[in-house]
Amino acid sequence: MDKRARVFVVLVLGCVAVAGISIVTAVGGNKAPAAAKDVLTAARDADRPSLVFRNLDRERPQTYGQVAVADLPPKARRLVPLKCERVTFNRSGSGLCLTRGTTFAAAYRARIFGADLRVRGEVAVDGIPSRARVSGDGRYGSTTFFVAGHSYADLGGFSTTTTLIDLVRARKIAELEDFTVTRDARKVTAPDVNFWGVTFAKNSDVFYATLATGGKIYLVEGSVSRRTMRTIHPDVECPSLSPDGRRIAYKKRAGAGAKRWRLHVLDLATMRETPLAETRSVDDQLEWLDDDHVLYGLQEQIWTAVADGSGKPRRFAVRGDSPAVVRW
Amino acid sequence: MYQVSNAGALLRAHRRLLSRDPSGPQVSRTVVLLGLTSLFTDIAAEMVVTVLPLYLVYVGQFSPVAFGVIDGIQRGGAALVGLASGFVGDRLRRHKEVATAGYGLSAFVKLGLAGAGTAFGAISALVLLDRIGKGIRTAPRDAMISLSTPTEQLGAAFGVHRALDTTGAMLGPLAAFGILAFAPNAFQSVFLVSFCIALIGLGILVLLVQPERAQAAEREPAPEHGTAQAPERARRPRTSLREALALLKVKRFGGILLAGAALSLATASDAFIFLVLQDKLDLSLTLFPLLFFGMAAVYMLLAVPAGRLADRIGRARVLLGGYVLLLAVYAVLLAPLNGTGLVILALGLLGAYYAATDGVLMALGSAIVPDDVRGSGLALLGTTVNVGRLLASIIFGSIWAVSGIQTAVAIFAAALVAAMALAALAFVRTREDLAHG
Repeated sequence: MDKRARVFVVLVLGCVAVAGISIVTAVGGNKAPAAAKDVLTAARDADRPSLVFRNLDRERPQTYGQVAVADLPPKARRLVPLKCERVTFNRSGSGLCLTRGTTFAAAYRARIFGADLRVRGEVAVDGIPSRARVSGDGRYGSTTFFVAGHSYADLGGFSTTTTLIDLVRARKIAELEDFTVTRDARKVTAPDVNFWGVTFAKNSDVFYATLATGGKIYLVEGSVSRRTMRTIHPDVECPSLSPDGRRIAYKKRAGAGAKRWRLHVLDLATMRETPLAETRSVDDQLEWLDDDHVLYGLQEQIWTAVADGSGKPRRFAVRGDSPAVVRW
Repeated sequence: MYQVSNAGALLRAHRRLLSRDPSGPQVSRTVVLLGLTSLFTDIAAEMVVTVLPLYLVYVGQFSPVAFGVIDGIQRGGAALVGLASGFVGDRLRRHKEVATAGYGLSAFVKLGLAGAGTAFGAISALVLLDRIGKGIRTAPRDAMISLSTPTEQLGAAFGVHRALDTTGAMLGPLAAFGILAFAPNAFQSVFLVSFCIALIGLGILVLLVQPERAQAAEREPAPEHGTAQAPERARRPRTSLREALALLKVKRFGGILLAGAALSLATASDAFIFLVLQDKLDLSLTLFPLLFFGMAAVYMLLAVPAGRLADRIGRARVLLGGYVLLLAVYAVLLAPLNGTGLVILALGLLGAYYAATDGVLMALGSAIVPDDVRGSGLALLGTTVNVGRLLASIIFGSIWAVSGIQTAVAIFAAALVAAMALAALAFVRTREDLAHG
């Protein structure tokens, strides 16, 4: 063999080795999250409170949007084999993962998964995923998708579909637009109604959501079984009920028609509004860390603020959003 | 997406070949090595082409349509680079070095993609560099093949190259999907493996293919083929732009350019043909790639026999015969029939059409263009055909949008008959039909 041929053989061996290592690493790296399938059940068995959220590590694009699980407070995260545009999960052992199909044309789906991180059912949906919530007993889920527009900012310029899902049967129950809404004891019949951002009460039949009609925004309280809703307070968007069920954290427009939001907490007994210390505009449905703190996603990071308006917002976790607190 | 790009791959004029033993049926070591270079390079290229739209939409969240537009612009740019590189190879008499630059650039683009992360600007720039690399390498590589092949075996040599090249185009998507099946979203890994494969292709060219001077010496002792030319060539001054442009005045070459342009303008891209077939069969989109594989397999199997046949009975005849097959494909598309058998027939015809035309046209050109301007001439012919097919795609798409697909196919069938008549006339006038060379 002449020298060039020998160099060529070495080159080929080197290339094969690098390619082989690369493939083995990739396949192995893919198996690691598969082993992490027990991460939530292990946390449940050990009674360790967890944070379920979306991993947004742009330096490892193959993991971008993958669901991550961390102990509270979050330090190391473990990635699990689910990729979502929005994720939620709670102690009931049920979660929703709003995801896009693998081909260009595929519509979005709301995938129902359990503590074993296995997808046990899915509901087809149209639009761009925005919000997802699961009731405390795991019976009901709710999703909000944009069917026109893609931002809550321009009131009147977008349209949403908010769907209630039977998580046990993996079926749509209804869209909120099918329910009867009353305002001041009068039925709302305007065709321009829009609903978004459901949150469930401890009694999972009761839920809260946002209604927009005629350029105005309301907090509604509803009943799944009676298929009714009634307005109870103005200017509440994306409500989130506190663990004790007495307060609602939400975003409120900085002014009528404004495209900025300030975070507030509403006391349901007194209807008193308390602005939080976060001064930046936040567009998220908040999550309660405990009875005194809320979590929210902002600029691909997860932040926390004190629920009584004191203190300063703090960064809670980097490179993530869509936080869901799980206290078993 | 990648079917469209494969149409692009087929548009590329690939050609090379040669045989040191004019009596034997085998092509030379250089042609086989260049074919293998293409095989590995095509595996690497198609791996990236296959996953790039997925990757871009996945990390960049931008639309496949925008990608298509950028893609089209870059293809146009690459065609112009090809003209320049053909000429530079002629001028420096260093086709191998120019081709190496092109293959090398494309190989290192793969490494860049593996490290580029999600920066969209960087990815676009790398895709552009890849196209430029493709543009650079084609003409000098084709020139090398034709310059190291006896004229009467050009068809067979091109056939060998096209068979190897198509094999690579078939293996690339399989490799990419294979990796993604076991490691979803491991795009970085796909790019890195693609780089390794491209490096092997580059290694074959750099380390194993002999430089042109050695090839010329190799050809010298062969008794029949312009052997006195080799030492003479080495002494002659560098090819000037004026000499390259004078090519256009060579009547026989002008005839082939005209024929190539007319025929390519009447050629519907196989991406469109696949769409019609899919429509006819009501085929699910997941089975869509099968159409490409069926066509490519026929092409791969028939490329060498078609090239040999062209060497024996005349390249212009086989070329025109190939377009008769394309006309038959159009007829199948227009027929009010359905069924799997019809689709298989269409794919077989389409594969045979490529085998009878793609390499054969380049063999035809190689036999006419003088050695000194071989790179420039083949680049001109390749670019003419590429631009013709690009325009044809735009025209076909427009007619389809306005008047429906049946009308588009019917108009193209009529245009193809006219183009074939024009080409036959050009060939008869240059007596290409009768001579091998």
